[in-house]
Amino acid sequence: MKHSTPSDYREASARSLRETPSVRASVGSATRTFDAHRVRAFSEVEYDRWKDWARDTKTHALTHLDTYLAQASAQLEARGVHVHWAETAEDALAVLDEIVERHGIKSAVKGKSMLTEELEVNAHLETLGVRPVETDLGEYIIQLLGEPPSHIVGPAIHKSLDDCRALFHDRLGTPLDADPDTLAAAARDALRAEFLAAGLGISGGNFLAADTGTIALIENEGNIRLSTSVPDVHVAFVGIEKIVPRFEDLAGFLQITARSATGQAIGLFVSLIQGPRTPSEIDGPKEVHVVLVDNGRTRLLADDIAWEALRCVRCGACLNICPVYRQTGGHAYGWTYSGPLGAIISPGMLGLEKAMPLPHASSLCGACVDVCPVRIPIPDILLHWREKAVDEGLAPAAETFGSRAYAGLAERPASFTAASAALRWTPWRAAGRALPILKGWMQERSAPAPSKKSFRQMWKEGIE
Amino acid sequence: MSTKRDAILARIRDANSGRTPTDHPGDFGGWRGDAGPTAPLQAFVSRFEGVGGEVVFVDSEAKASQWLADFAQPFKSVTIGEGVSSALHPDLPIALPRDAPLSISQARGAIAETGSLVMDARDGRRTQLLAPTHVVVLSSENIWETVRGALLTLAEDLPAAIGLHSGPSKSADIGQVMVKGVHGPGRILALIIGNAPEKP
Repeated sequence: MKHSTPSDYREASARSLRETPSVRASVGSATRTFDAHRVRAFSEVEYDRWKDWARDTKTHALTHLDTYLAQASAQLEARGVHVHWAETAEDALAVLDEIVERHGIKSAVKGKSMLTEELEVNAHLETLGVRPVETDLGEYIIQLLGEPPSHIVGPAIHKSLDDCRALFHDRLGTPLDADPDTLAAAARDALRAEFLAAGLGISGGNFLAADTGTIALIENEGNIRLSTSVPDVHVAFVGIEKIVPRFEDLAGFLQITARSATGQAIGLFVSLIQGPRTPSEIDGPKEVHVVLVDNGRTRLLADDIAWEALRCVRCGACLNICPVYRQTGGHAYGWTYSGPLGAIISPGMLGLEKAMPLPHASSLCGACVDVCPVRIPIPDILLHWREKAVDEGLAPAAETFGSRAYAGLAERPASFTAASAALRWTPWRAAGRALPILKGWMQERSAPAPSKKSFRQMWKEGIE
Repeated sequence: MSTKRDAILARIRDANSGRTPTDHPGDFGGWRGDAGPTAPLQAFVSRFEGVGGEVVFVDSEAKASQWLADFAQPFKSVTIGEGVSSALHPDLPIALPRDAPLSISQARGAIAETGSLVMDARDGRRTQLLAPTHVVVLSSENIWETVRGALLTLAEDLPAAIGLHSGPSKSADIGQVMVKGVHGPGRILALIIGNAPEKP
């Protein structure tokens, strides 16, 4: 369920700050906690070497992506997995149609997966008459509320304890003053019945190891292990960029992702899935499908600057550190991926025209590049999209006009002096509100009036 | 299907054309800070306990059997993994994993670096996941120092699924308050058969 699109960003972020101040408080507190844990976790290891290794391994995998995908697919098929290739969201969703019909599926349990949000799997299941059940506690909360996730690691961080108390009171009959343990126990009971009844388990995939065809999944609750172990059929949706070359490379990625995301040494539960149950196993799914999804990823790969964003391991560290994300939370960004990550991959995956103005949802402070465990040059990619927007005529007309006018003046010293003199003697606040760019900027900010003398004048007269 | 596969692979090759392929940087070294090496078993115990796992040391299978008999007493029924030695089965009615309040599994080993128990699907996945209290039997011989070392061994004989269980199930999704036992076991005990490491 989508409440806005990226093009609504300005309005959605303003609305969030104005109408739901509690979001800023909850998101601020959660992101600061995540970040503090990350800092502590990386003080225990040689972080720079980990980051170099992770960057180089991912870059190697991306520059050999065709070979590794073919290898992974062959390995999976050798273990009896049905491998599907999806160019678009429609292709990916169509895989479910046949499975649902053949098995007479009535409900599906889901582990947290941003890709299934991107593909809008839940809405599609409903059209097939299947009830999708989100089983991650945070995802369950926002599914009850009918909202999309607002953070890729903590989907419900924009909700306070009191928000959850009111929701669970309403939906599960817990007391209004219930403690978190009582609330979690109520959710556990409700969801345990769903795990046992569901005919289908759906997951994403954090990584796909090419040499063994292993899908690796990281979590803390155990709901992904249950979703991929209890139902008879398991479908994993995996983005094509999730490839790592070797099973043993998971050793690095499982640890660096956990330390970056939550400050843990490793997720409390890791699933390493090779295929359906073998004759020597008494349980586990009898049928496993892996859907390899493009849906805009090759488009991003083709961009010579932004392709580096495909190294992303979805740890959320850049969201947690971002001063812009911390103000509004994820919903304002209007698509599955929010924060700095969303601002750099959405233009490549959706097309720049649909993702504007997300590359501007940043002050370019660079905190994100410092925390990124795979060293994605996020500010460079943001600037790249901004430049491209100007080249393609997608930047706001006033901004393009303003930049060109400034460039024109800056190249002509006499005009520059005349124009700046004129500006200093103009009634500043009134003019600011009328001028392009400054008008928007001054709606939410106050600026000091310009000095009556220019810097060059003061320089000539001798600065004290 | 194969046409979509070919189309995606062709687009990847096209996108990567003109880009210099880079080399794999080599093995993940697990580079640590100044903490220095600790004995693997001791490191496992310290990490596992650090996140709320419990550890019990017994020096023989007979002692393990005795400990399990005592521990299991308050429970009404139990579910037991395929690989758990019959000498360790407590005298309790066997229940389906979905109904049992207690489960006992056999670990394939444990990892010191991350405090993880390595759970093999052949032992029974429901037994590893559904009961609120999970006792995992582990031999003190089977400790890998690093995740990479464990994966290299596991790769030689991979079941349908492996689970790395590194503590009790937890969530902070409700108002950022930590709660235990959300879906998986809220209590996990490593019953280690062998000599306990000396306390530092």
